[in-house]
Amino acid sequence: MVNAVGKAEVERPSLAHRISTTLYSKPKLRLRLLLSAPVTWLGLVYIAALLALLVTAFFTVDSFTGEIKPGFSLQNFTDLFTNSLYSTVTLRTIGIALGVTIVDVLIALPIAFYMAKIASPRTRGILLISILMPLWASYLVKAYAWRSVLSNVGIAAWLLRPIGLDTPGYSLLGAGITLGYLWLPYVILPIYASLEKVPSNLLEASSDLGAKTFTTLRKVVFPLILPGIVAGSIFSFSLTLGDYITINIVGGASQMLGNLVYGNVGVANNLPMAAAIALVPVVIMFGYLTAVRKTGALDNL
Amino acid sequence: MAKSMPAIALKGLTKSFGTTKAVDNLNLEIGQGEFFSMLGPSGSGKTTVLRMIAGFEYPTSGTVALAGQDVTNLAPFDRDVNTVFQDYALFNHLSVFENIEYGLKVRKISKAERTERVNEALRTVRLADFGDRKPAQLSGGQRQRIALARAIVVKPKVLLLDEPLGALDLKLREQMQIELKQIQRELGITFIFVTHDQEEALTLSDRIAVFNNGRIEQLGTPQELYEKPASEFVAGFVGTSNIFSAEQAQVLFGKKTKVALRPEKIEVVTRGGNQARVIEVIYLGSFIRLILDVQGIQIKATVDSGVFHRDQTVQIKMNVTDLVAL
Amino acid sequence: MQKKATFKLLALGAVAVLALSGCSAAGNGGQMLDKLGDPEKTVSLLGWPGYAEDGSTDPAYDWVTPFETETGCDVTFKSYGTSDEAISLFKTGDYDAIAASGDATLRLIAAGDVQPLNTSLLQNYDGVYDFLKDRDFNTVDGKNYGVPHGYGANLLMYNTEEVSPAPTSWSVVFDGASEYKGKVTAYDSPIYIADAALYLMTHSPELNITNPYALDEDQLAAAVELLKAQRENVGEYWSDYLKAIQAFDTGDTVVGTTWQVIKNYLAADTPAAVVLPEEGATGWSDSWMVSSKAKSPNCAYLWLDYIISPQANAAATEYFGEAPATPDACQYGSEGFCETYNAGDTEFESQLWYWTTPTEKCLDGRTDVKCTDYAKWTTAWQEVKG
Repeated sequence: MVNAVGKAEVERPSLAHRISTTLYSKPKLRLRLLLSAPVTWLGLVYIAALLALLVTAFFTVDSFTGEIKPGFSLQNFTDLFTNSLYSTVTLRTIGIALGVTIVDVLIALPIAFYMAKIASPRTRGILLISILMPLWASYLVKAYAWRSVLSNVGIAAWLLRPIGLDTPGYSLLGAGITLGYLWLPYVILPIYASLEKVPSNLLEASSDLGAKTFTTLRKVVFPLILPGIVAGSIFSFSLTLGDYITINIVGGASQMLGNLVYGNVGVANNLPMAAAIALVPVVIMFGYLTAVRKTGALDNL
Repeated sequence: MAKSMPAIALKGLTKSFGTTKAVDNLNLEIGQGEFFSMLGPSGSGKTTVLRMIAGFEYPTSGTVALAGQDVTNLAPFDRDVNTVFQDYALFNHLSVFENIEYGLKVRKISKAERTERVNEALRTVRLADFGDRKPAQLSGGQRQRIALARAIVVKPKVLLLDEPLGALDLKLREQMQIELKQIQRELGITFIFVTHDQEEALTLSDRIAVFNNGRIEQLGTPQELYEKPASEFVAGFVGTSNIFSAEQAQVLFGKKTKVALRPEKIEVVTRGGNQARVIEVIYLGSFIRLILDVQGIQIKATVDSGVFHRDQTVQIKMNVTDLVAL
Repeated sequence: MQKKATFKLLALGAVAVLALSGCSAAGNGGQMLDKLGDPEKTVSLLGWPGYAEDGSTDPAYDWVTPFETETGCDVTFKSYGTSDEAISLFKTGDYDAIAASGDATLRLIAAGDVQPLNTSLLQNYDGVYDFLKDRDFNTVDGKNYGVPHGYGANLLMYNTEEVSPAPTSWSVVFDGASEYKGKVTAYDSPIYIADAALYLMTHSPELNITNPYALDEDQLAAAVELLKAQRENVGEYWSDYLKAIQAFDTGDTVVGTTWQVIKNYLAADTPAAVVLPEEGATGWSDSWMVSSKAKSPNCAYLWLDYIISPQANAAATEYFGEAPATPDACQYGSEGFCETYNAGDTEFESQLWYWTTPTEKCLDGRTDVKCTDYAKWTTAWQEVKG
């Protein structure tokens, strides 16, 4: 009787039920179906775009009419490596990106630590909102706001002149400050998230074993939040590396790699050269990630 | 052992969180080399006391003295006590060896001595070959021993253990209880052991303080607590007791006072006892627990052997001399 | 804004459908039109911001709607920010006509993106200033490719409180720029090299520059050197004229190249003046051109004819802030409009060097050397900025 009932049950399932059963019993199939759409998307949009960039970098352009001439030429790369313009701008861009990243991390660490380990839940919520809030405003609005802050008659000048200093004005420093402000939330949040995951009793255990506060921070907290710091630094570093708008708005006469790319697309109509230049930050980021991986900072992820 | 100077002396210790008093005017002295347990349900204040001894919390009022020295306001790293945490609090980014070495390293002890002492500690906890592993690669019991090794390697005067066996399964817990006791004896240092498991406390301790609502209900040896519980709370919390109200005692024993009676003191006899009806039979291997009904009063009794079934009528004998007045 | 975008999408969609169904008036392959046919239903235009206002920015400015009513051609307009952006956009083939400055026109002509014009089909062409007709930026090999829209100069603006004495020469932004270090501005485009070349025409006669858009290697090098020296004193370059206005208002910039329209938009209390320096100036004369792939060539011709009609030309050029292409426009503009922009002032006009795309073939007629083309100027400009 049990058998009869069981059999009747087996014969009846709907198509949907059978599909569910098949999917349930074949986890690999399930995974493939689940991932196929995003992987295709990623492949087409991301990898293919990157490859297209690489290929385009070998094309040339008719200088007068602006027509792109497909083919294989190393001219763009020869220019890239021989013209001191590109090395100067690359170094300047890396310098700004490093500066912005270091300053942002140094500012983010105490804020994130206070939020994760010291602040009351209420204060933490308020802080979190005030950090997230600027992300709601457009990047351009914030950059233009800094343009007015840094201006000759702006708040920076008003605050600093009484103490004998002056606004950095529209300069590399001005651009660095603005970029540092723009990316700070992206640095604080991953550090905060990683700090929050550090159990408080690890800090207690460390001090219990005789470590002073600074030793605890250095030997216990720092290694545990290093992945968060790295994640944050990747944001600020790569975002700075690709910026060309902020530098245009508050950077005065200076240019960064992004401006060269933009200049070659927008002004010179030289897409192949732009592609070649655009590969520079890609290579730098690749190098940065490899270096980070070598230090083992990502092992604890 | 020199008993003249207590390892720990707590005077008027009080800790308030907002309006609630987690610890209320506690006075306690713990002798050197003692295995001392703080037993109580969660929220009874025992862990807060431990954290104040360790220095993770500062008392609202009162003092903590270690070997006669007032440490009330010292930071944890300036106190000669160490803690084994409930969930071990191992540094997952360091190897087992580095975990144990940590306390020695921050004390700037030489490399050679560090290696020697870490290996000795690893041998003490019987994990000599595990130095290179990461904590994540160990079982719960092994992690627990590493936590212990890490705490004892710095040779503290007092070791604080915060429910260290809570996360282990029964078998492992029993084994670790024995090992803890042995290690404590070998090292000769004071252990302060926080637990909510009365059996564990009874098994391990020289003395036990039973906590309830931020106060010590009773302080004594395991035997004193078991045999002469000072209050209904202790009688109920330490071991199993039948607690009879004055009215019930009047019915059963003709004495109008509240009393407690241990189940194992009750005998099942063939004749001459009280008529009892079996409500439930619980087989527990080495003994059998009977839930009985005597004149409408429920009584727990423990017998070594015999065949019982529900609704059976038995005769039980309760000695008035076994009663503990509450 | 939203409405405009939706309309554009619809229009694009309509164009796409027409193109796919194959029953549209297909492009005439770049041949000159002999006579006008029936107007198509739509026309797609590309131009500087403000060149074709339909009242959506400000209801008071609308010279597109009368055209639509009159001809039945529905206008879709897209604006661009720089000449180079204009070229990129126009190359998509989505536009029937473009208003291009002289630094873009020759490139479009050379690439075959625009078709020769039959000016006899344009009734209002006779009214256009003769000095704007058949210039080297709109005419190649005797064929005319563009009708003038309007013209203007890249003037020198200075803060009258900070800069004294009042400058009369471009030297204030070149040799004498260090006095205003960090507060000098310049136009952010390779074409600005011509401003340096213009300055060198007067101040370094030994270079023999006769046309600032025809520079051989040595002459370009000299101009670049001058610009690199200027770079030390430049606070910022501008290509967005709103940025230039703001920087002048706050005093972050006190002297530099400008457009009349920027001066007009400065805050009332900003102490600024503009001057046409003694060396003359570069300038622009914009031309409306018809795409060689135009899907609506008839409507495009109608638009070209319309925009040089006195009334529409006055509205468009005054709105943007430049001199009109036809003297008759002066009576339709507001009081003093033509005087403000020196329209028809031939002495003023004779001092202007209109933007022209530099080419390998020297524009000044030299045949013994190759000149530097726009691509070289672009690279040179990036090097100037460093």
